[in-house]
Amino acid sequence: MIALLSFLPGRRTSAAFAALVLLGLSLAFAASVGETSIPVQTVMSTIANHVWGAGYDVDPIDAGIVWNYRLSRAVVAASCGAALALSGAVLQALLRNALADPYLLGISAGASTGAVSVAILGVGAGMFGLSVGAFIGSVVAFAFVSLLALQAGRGTGAIILAGIAGAQLFNALTSFIVTKSASAEEARGIMFWLLGNLSGVRWPDATQAFPMAIIGLLVCLWHARALDAFTFGRDSAASLGVPVRRVYVILIGISALMTAVMVSIVGSIGFVGLVIPHAARFFVGNRHGLLLPLSALIGALFLVGADVISRVIVPGQVLPIGVITALVGAPAFALILCHGRILR
Amino acid sequence: MTLELRNISWSVGFKKIVRDVSLRVEQGEFLGIIGPNGSGKTSMMSVLAGIRPPSDGMALLGDQPMRKVGRRNLARRIGFVEQQADTSDRITVHEAVSLGRTPYLSLLSPWSAIDDDIVTSALESVGMGNMADRIWHTLSGGEKQRVHIARALAQQPDYLLLDEPTNHLDIHHQLGLLELVHALPVTVVAALHDLNHAALFCDRIAMMDGGKLTAIGTPSEILTQQNLRDVFGVEADIETQSDGRCHIRYRVRNQMGVQTKKGRVA
Amino acid sequence: MLKMNRQGLAAGVFAAGLVLTATGAQATEYPLTIENCGRSVTFEKAPERVVSLGQSNTEILYRLGLADKVVGTAVWFNPVAEEYREVNAKVKRLADNDPSFESVVGQKPDLVTNQYQWHVGPNGAVGTVTQFNELSIPVYTAPADCVGKDNSTGGDGTRLDAFSMDLIYQTITEMAQIFDVEDRGEQLVADLRAREQAARESVESIDGSGVSMLFWFSSAEIDVDPFVAGQKGAPGYIANILNVRNVIDSDDEWPKVGWETIARANPDIIAIGKMERRRFPADDWELKMKFLKSDPVTSQMTAVQNDQIVVLDAMSMNPTIRTIDGIEMVAKAVVDLRKSQSN
Repeated sequence: MIALLSFLPGRRTSAAFAALVLLGLSLAFAASVGETSIPVQTVMSTIANHVWGAGYDVDPIDAGIVWNYRLSRAVVAASCGAALALSGAVLQALLRNALADPYLLGISAGASTGAVSVAILGVGAGMFGLSVGAFIGSVVAFAFVSLLALQAGRGTGAIILAGIAGAQLFNALTSFIVTKSASAEEARGIMFWLLGNLSGVRWPDATQAFPMAIIGLLVCLWHARALDAFTFGRDSAASLGVPVRRVYVILIGISALMTAVMVSIVGSIGFVGLVIPHAARFFVGNRHGLLLPLSALIGALFLVGADVISRVIVPGQVLPIGVITALVGAPAFALILCHGRILR
Repeated sequence: MTLELRNISWSVGFKKIVRDVSLRVEQGEFLGIIGPNGSGKTSMMSVLAGIRPPSDGMALLGDQPMRKVGRRNLARRIGFVEQQADTSDRITVHEAVSLGRTPYLSLLSPWSAIDDDIVTSALESVGMGNMADRIWHTLSGGEKQRVHIARALAQQPDYLLLDEPTNHLDIHHQLGLLELVHALPVTVVAALHDLNHAALFCDRIAMMDGGKLTAIGTPSEILTQQNLRDVFGVEADIETQSDGRCHIRYRVRNQMGVQTKKGRVA
Repeated sequence: MLKMNRQGLAAGVFAAGLVLTATGAQATEYPLTIENCGRSVTFEKAPERVVSLGQSNTEILYRLGLADKVVGTAVWFNPVAEEYREVNAKVKRLADNDPSFESVVGQKPDLVTNQYQWHVGPNGAVGTVTQFNELSIPVYTAPADCVGKDNSTGGDGTRLDAFSMDLIYQTITEMAQIFDVEDRGEQLVADLRAREQAARESVESIDGSGVSMLFWFSSAEIDVDPFVAGQKGAPGYIANILNVRNVIDSDDEWPKVGWETIARANPDIIAIGKMERRRFPADDWELKMKFLKSDPVTSQMTAVQNDQIVVLDAMSMNPTIRTIDGIEMVAKAVVDLRKSQSN
């Protein structure tokens, strides 16, 4: 069927169509599988009821679970996976470093500091929850890293080192707060959150995550050619007519924003931003016009799948999703490294 | 369309790398830039190419300040080949050269057959027409340099700026490259470290020393014994050939006879 | 059937206590050696200065009338019980949570009692038993935290045997022995046992069997997976003796279970924890209530729709002396449920 589609006029449109179909299927799958088993019939009826008001008779708890818990969670997982993979691809191109990932800018470390400040120090006096604290923390950390990078001089090395310094600083702050103030129970609660967790996700989170992912995709796609131009470095890109500074600000900014939003909703999920772009490169090479959308698609599918696995692999328990992405991501990365010839 | 520098300076922090340089590139010429290491050649080339704005003074293209010309327009007129440009990305030769079309592409004018033709002819100009599908890292140093030149040519520039293009190449490729570039229908500005190459290929030579442009003129005017001694710190004899071209014969101190070093040590 | 109310029972016990004292209840013979958490702890005489690390132990000490012997307290989850507010105000509070080793020994105690082994134990955050013993300070750990429990797994530890109020009674009895107030100890234990019995009987009398329950302590964020009670902790005990089924199967003391699983299990009664602490926004019982009623899935649960939500003090959901309050409140909730069902 996919092969047939490629004969249709406009290879790009048929590819986009196939991508949407794949995504839709993955969302339906994620809505059908979860901690408890709900018959497929119920799932389909619920979706039908909500999407076009079909009026089937469904148990309200089951319907609520499928629609409000599972489906919203799947949408957020897809958005998050896409956003992280996009950020990773963009940063790898801009910083000319195959190991760059969205957390390089200190965002995840800042988010964890913000979250523990709220959860353990009680900053904000219970007025806002972990998510807002995490977002503020990531913004602060990113500002710190940016200032440091500017002071450290030009060049991608400065940015990378500033990011590492910032991440170390904020991670240290997090550890300090946790060891000094937290009881065992609090520490356990916050550690679970920090490892990435989609349990608390509902539709309001999805209405934040999904548009952010779409906007991020559009902005990055707009700059696809500029990203290609960075192949031989910044000066090369400048000589090809790319407004280097402006592109840096916009793309690093949008990556940071996407990552901060996603981390504040679901915590830090690792490996997606690092590995998925390489997986996509394995299939379509380095042209960003193809690499960016494919990274986003693979990232989305990957995280939806990882979320489902995190719920069913240990009966009755939900594993942190960051554990699943690392367990899958690390060997996958090793495989790509050996066979995919990332660096020669 | 003229390319000109008027009293430009360029600094890094408090250190002045290029001081008060004025230069006007004549259309169709092959202008060589020579000078010892640290004389500011690369920095001056960057300003000339429009990649870096000068700290003082003005760089002009077609009598318009480069700032006003705009980056994309600059990229359509000036092709710049850096000293060292490599990538660990897995790209083909064709993809590398295609990057040269960046200043012409946009959402409204996407890649078309015309761009394909331009890339092909650029590759053929550098004698690599049959290597379009080769992977970048499988190329030799000389082939990589030629691909860079092809990329710059794909920009369809009026000016081709080369920063020490023959570094890391063996002699066969060094000369081949310069011959190729000389034959192209573009104005060339090349920073060269081999003075004899400069003598062979350049219509004019500009000499830099300590950030200043100390002299500019024909090879025979610039490559004098005095200049070689003062600026480069070498002793040499200049031979002038019948066609006006000169050749530098370096003098080495303590010239021994037939006895080899081996003989001295043993 | 004759229904005895709490006060009548208490009066009866008090009378019995008087009789016991009149007949000359045992006084402690020193030196006294007690087996405590795998160690032998010896006392030459009743301690005069005790530092108590754990709200439950502290309140037991107050109950036994030993407030004047307490020179420092720490590890508080809630404000002290109403009746001890005055005496507690005179006692120095070293920390709300974990005090430092030096602050404890700085009070020159001749006994340290702790509620949790992760404060004083092999990996104690405050110190190890050896450290205290080196300064000739004996340590008494509440049996509830070491009997049938493996604390080497870290965190809250894993309960191998289910918790039982007997462990609290043991704590009371042993502490009373140590301080040579055995009569008061016996009285207190008898009082508590009687209350426990009464609660049981009230549930048995209206056929409270077949009721299912959930105990929700708190959550890291209001809508993520909640910390709910497993089978072996204090809530598990409460459910057990009242013949109520805890819908959570886990052997962990406070596992995280997804709302999806809980909603499908659909318990008849939901107990939510009330506490002063505001580490997590969900610590606030009103927020928990609001969540249950507004979340699109939990609002469909039977317990939420029928307003069968009982607010329990956090201390009563933990293995402490106040677990007895929990038993009473849950018993009342079950009785109310059955009443509303028969109407």
